[in-house]
Amino acid sequence: MAEKLLEVRELTAGFHTERGFLRAVDRVSLSLEAGQTLCVVGESGSGKSVTSLAIMRLLDYSGGTIAGGEIRFRGVDLTELPQREVMRIRGNRLTMVFQDPISALNPVFTAGDQIAESLRVHKGMSPKAAWRKAVDMLRLVGIPDPEMRAGQYPHEMSGGMCQRVVIAMALACDPELIIADEPTTALDVTVQAQILELLQRLKRELRTSILLITHDMGVAAEMADRIAVMYAGAVVEEGTAAAIFERPRHPYTIGLLRSIPGTTGERGTELYTIKGGIPRIEQLPGGCRFHPRCPYAMENCAREEPPLLEAADGHRSACWLTDMPEVMT
Amino acid sequence: MSPSTAPVRAAGERARADRRPPGLWQAGWRQFSRNRFAVAGLAIMAVFVIASLTARWIAPYDPTRIDMMFPNLPPGTGDHLLGTDELGRDIFSRLLYSSQVSLLVGFSVAIASVAIGTLIGAVSGYFGGWLDTCFMRLVDVMNAIPLLFLNILILAIFGSEFSYMILVMTFTGWMGVARLVRGTFLQLREMQYVEAARAIGVSDAGIIFRHLLRNASAPIIVNATLMVGYAILGESALSYLGLGVQVPQTSWGLMLSNAQEFMLVDPLQAVYPGLCILLVVLAVNFVGDGLRDAMDPRKQAAIARRGWGRWRRNSSKFGN
Amino acid sequence: MTEYLIRRTLQSVLILLLITVVTFILIHAAPGGPKQIYLSPNLSQAAAKVQEHNLGLDRPLPVQYVNWIGDLLRGDLGYTFKNHIPVGEIIWPTVGHTLVLMGAAWLLTLLIALPWGIYNSTSEYGLSDQTASFIAYIGFAMPTFWFGIILQELFALKWNLLPLSDMWTMGKEGQIGDLLLHLMLPVTVLTIGFLASYVKYARSSMLEVLDQDYIRTARAKGLGEGRVVFRHALRNALIPIITVLGLDLPVLVAGAALTENVFNWPGMGRLFVQMAVAREYSVLMAITLLTAVFVIVGNFVADLLYALVDPRVKLSRKGGAAA
Repeated sequence: MAEKLLEVRELTAGFHTERGFLRAVDRVSLSLEAGQTLCVVGESGSGKSVTSLAIMRLLDYSGGTIAGGEIRFRGVDLTELPQREVMRIRGNRLTMVFQDPISALNPVFTAGDQIAESLRVHKGMSPKAAWRKAVDMLRLVGIPDPEMRAGQYPHEMSGGMCQRVVIAMALACDPELIIADEPTTALDVTVQAQILELLQRLKRELRTSILLITHDMGVAAEMADRIAVMYAGAVVEEGTAAAIFERPRHPYTIGLLRSIPGTTGERGTELYTIKGGIPRIEQLPGGCRFHPRCPYAMENCAREEPPLLEAADGHRSACWLTDMPEVMT
Repeated sequence: MSPSTAPVRAAGERARADRRPPGLWQAGWRQFSRNRFAVAGLAIMAVFVIASLTARWIAPYDPTRIDMMFPNLPPGTGDHLLGTDELGRDIFSRLLYSSQVSLLVGFSVAIASVAIGTLIGAVSGYFGGWLDTCFMRLVDVMNAIPLLFLNILILAIFGSEFSYMILVMTFTGWMGVARLVRGTFLQLREMQYVEAARAIGVSDAGIIFRHLLRNASAPIIVNATLMVGYAILGESALSYLGLGVQVPQTSWGLMLSNAQEFMLVDPLQAVYPGLCILLVVLAVNFVGDGLRDAMDPRKQAAIARRGWGRWRRNSSKFGN
Repeated sequence: MTEYLIRRTLQSVLILLLITVVTFILIHAAPGGPKQIYLSPNLSQAAAKVQEHNLGLDRPLPVQYVNWIGDLLRGDLGYTFKNHIPVGEIIWPTVGHTLVLMGAAWLLTLLIALPWGIYNSTSEYGLSDQTASFIAYIGFAMPTFWFGIILQELFALKWNLLPLSDMWTMGKEGQIGDLLLHLMLPVTVLTIGFLASYVKYARSSMLEVLDQDYIRTARAKGLGEGRVVFRHALRNALIPIITVLGLDLPVLVAGAALTENVFNWPGMGRLFVQMAVAREYSVLMAITLLTAVFVIVGNFVADLLYALVDPRVKLSRKGGAAA
C-alpha cells in the first residue's frame, strides 16, 4: 500500500450565521494515495466545494470556518497550521484548479505574469527565469504559440485556453496534489473532453495526484481511481472506482448511476431520476440524511443515522441496508 | 348596508387582510422604523417643519427689528435665548424665520427638479433616438460646469430674487435624477410586461406613467429626499456668498456671512446657523438612507449572514 | 488608439461648443439683453449707439456669436466693463492660486482616502470603518464654509496658531513656509469635505474586487495577504475610482470656490463671486468657460488613465473607454 498523501479525518466545516452554525460539511473522511486520483462526486449543495476549500484552508476567506477534524497532508495537519505557514504549502505543493477559468484569472495581468508569480513566490526564481518557465508550462498544457500567449491578457483567450492557463499555474511549482473543483463545468462539451484528457496526461507524465470534485459520474468514471460520493454534507459511500461502478452499496449512488443517460436501460426508456431535491443544510432531516428520498427507506432510517462502515474490502457505505441486492444496479 | 352587518364584514375583511403577506409599503415602513437613525432623522425633520410653520407665533421678536441699544448680547440675556447680533436683532427669532427659507427652498427645489429630471429621464429612456442624444448632451454640458458657478452666473445675470433662486437651483439640479430614471427605463422598457402592455394597445404615456414610473419610484423617492439636503446646502452657500436671500430677509447662510464679519466680537453667532443646517441636512440624509434600505429588498439580509450569503451567491453560478 | 483619441477630442470640443452656446444664450436672455449688461446706463442715446456699434451689439446674434468665438480662439477674453482691463490679465494669476489650493487638497485626500478605504475593506464594520461612515455623514451634511468659519475662530482667533485668511502674510510673498501655513486651514476644510466619499469609494470598490474569483485564485497560489490586496485587488479596484475622480472634478472646483471665499484666497472662485456681485459678465463667462475646459480635460485624462489600468478597455472600440 502506497503512502497516504492526503488524509481527511472527520472534517466538519461550515458557516456561522445569526441562526447558529450551518454545517455544510459533516464529519467527512477522505484519503488519497500518491499518484492516484480521487473523485468526490455529489449534487450541488452536497458540500464538495466547501470540502475542497477547507483542505486548501481557503474557507476562512469565504466566510466559513473549520469546526473540527483534521486534514493531514503528508502527515502534517493543515488545520493546526497558521495561515502564514499554510501559504508555503498552498500554491506550491498543494494547488487548485477552479470551476470558472475566465473569472479565476485576474483581468489586469497577463497569463505569463500570473504563472510566473507562483514561481517567483515559492521557488524564488528571477523574473526572467520565472517567465521562461511560465512559457514552458504553457507549452506543456498544450497551448500553441506559448511565447505569444504568455503576453496576452485573459480576456484575449477562450474559456478552454484560460482553463489551460489555470492548470499551468497549478502545475508550475510541481505540486504533489492538485485539487480540481469542477474544472470542466463552465466549458463547452468538446473543450471539457480536451481538459480531462490533459489532466489524465499530466497525471501520467508528472505523477501528480488529483482530487477531482465533480457532479458528473461520467467524468468520475473516466478519471477516478477511487470515488467518494457526498450527499448533503456527508460522505455516503467510498471505494475504488471499479467497486463503485460494479457494485454500488448506497441507494443514493445507485440512483446517481441509474440517472446517467446511456449506462443502463434501453433506448427510449425514461431517464431515471431521484425523486425530490437535496435538502437545505438549514433543514436536514433526522436520521439518515437521504431517507426522505430513498426508495428503500425503512423505519430505522428516520431515527438513526447510519455510520460509514466497511461493506467490503476498502469499500465503505453509510446505509442500514447492508446487503443491497445486485439487481438494483 | 345595514348597521348590524357592517362590523361583521369589517372584521372579516380585517382577518383576511391579516392573512395576506404584508404589502410593499407596510414591509417598507417596518424596515424603516427599525432603523434608529432614520426615525431620529424623521423626528428632527418634524421639529424643524413645525418650528418653521409656527415661527410667526413662537418667535419672541420680529427677526428684522433692529435694536441698537442691545447689540451682541450673550445668550440668555433677558428674553434673548441665544442673544442678539451686531444690530441687536434676536438671534433665536432669526433662526426660526430662516428655517422657513431653508425648508421652502429645500422642498420646492427637490420636488421641482426631481419632477423635471424624471420627465426628461423618462422621455429620454423610453423613446431613445435623437431626443435621448439631445438630452444627454445637455446633461454633459451642464455637468461640465460646476453647479455652484452656474447658479452664481445665472443669479448674477437675472438678479438675486428669492423665486429666481428656486428656479435657478431647479434648472441646475435635475441632471442626476434624469440620468437615474433614464437608466432604469432603458432596462425596464425591454421587459415582457411592457411588450405585453404595448400589445394590448396601452399608449406610450400610459406605459410610462402606469408601468415604468411605478417600478422606478423607489430610487426616485430616495433621490428626492437627498435632493432636499443638497438644495438646503446650496441655498445656504449662495446666501453666504451674497447671491441668494437678500437683506432684510434672513437665512442661515446669510446669518453665517454676517457672523463671519463679526467673529472677533461674538464668535458664538457663527455656531447656531451652521448647526441648524448640519442638523437638518443630516436628518434628511438619514431619512433618505432609511428609505433606500427599506425599499431595497436586497438590503434586508442581515449582516451576520454575509459569509453564508456570499458563499451561496458564488456557488450558485454553476450549480456548485 | 489614435482613432479613439480623435473621437474623444471631437466629443470634448462639441461639448465645449455647446457650453459656449449656453453661456452666450444666457447673457442674451438677460432682462434688457446684453445692452443693459455691457452699456453703462448713464450714456447718452447717441453715445450708447456708438458704443453698441463698437461692441458689435447691433449685429445679428449668430454673427455676434461667431465673432465672440473668434476672439476667444485668439485668446482675447474681452475687457472688463468698469475699467476696461483685459479679462485675461485679471484671471490668469488667480488660476495658479486655485490650482495650488485644489491640488494640495486633492493630493492629501487621495493620500489619506486610498489607504484608509483599503484598510476598511479588509476590516468591515470595524471601528475605523464606523469612523469613516460617521465622517461621511457629517461631511455630506455640513456646509463647508461653516466648517471653515469655525476653524478660523478656533485656530486663528482663539488659539492664534494659524493665519486667519489670505495666501501670504503681507511682506512675506513668495515664501514657501508662509504659504504652507496659509494652506493649512483651507486644505483641511476641503480634505474633510472630500475625504469621506473617497474612503467610501475605495472601500466599496475594494470589497467588490475582494469578492471576485481571481482573488481566491491568488490566495490559492499561496500569496500573502499583502500581495493579494495590493497587487491583485488594488489594480482592479483603482479602475472605478479613477472614473469617479474624473467625474468629481466639477464638485472639487465648486468646493474650492466656497473655501476660497471663506479664507479670502485669491483664486478663481473668489474672483468669480466678486465679479458676480459687480456684474462683470465678460469675466464670469471667461471663468465659466475656463473651468469647463478644465473639467473636460480632466475627464479626458481620467478616461485615458482608465484605459491604461484596465487592459480590457480597447481604445479603438466604438463608444470609447468610459462607455
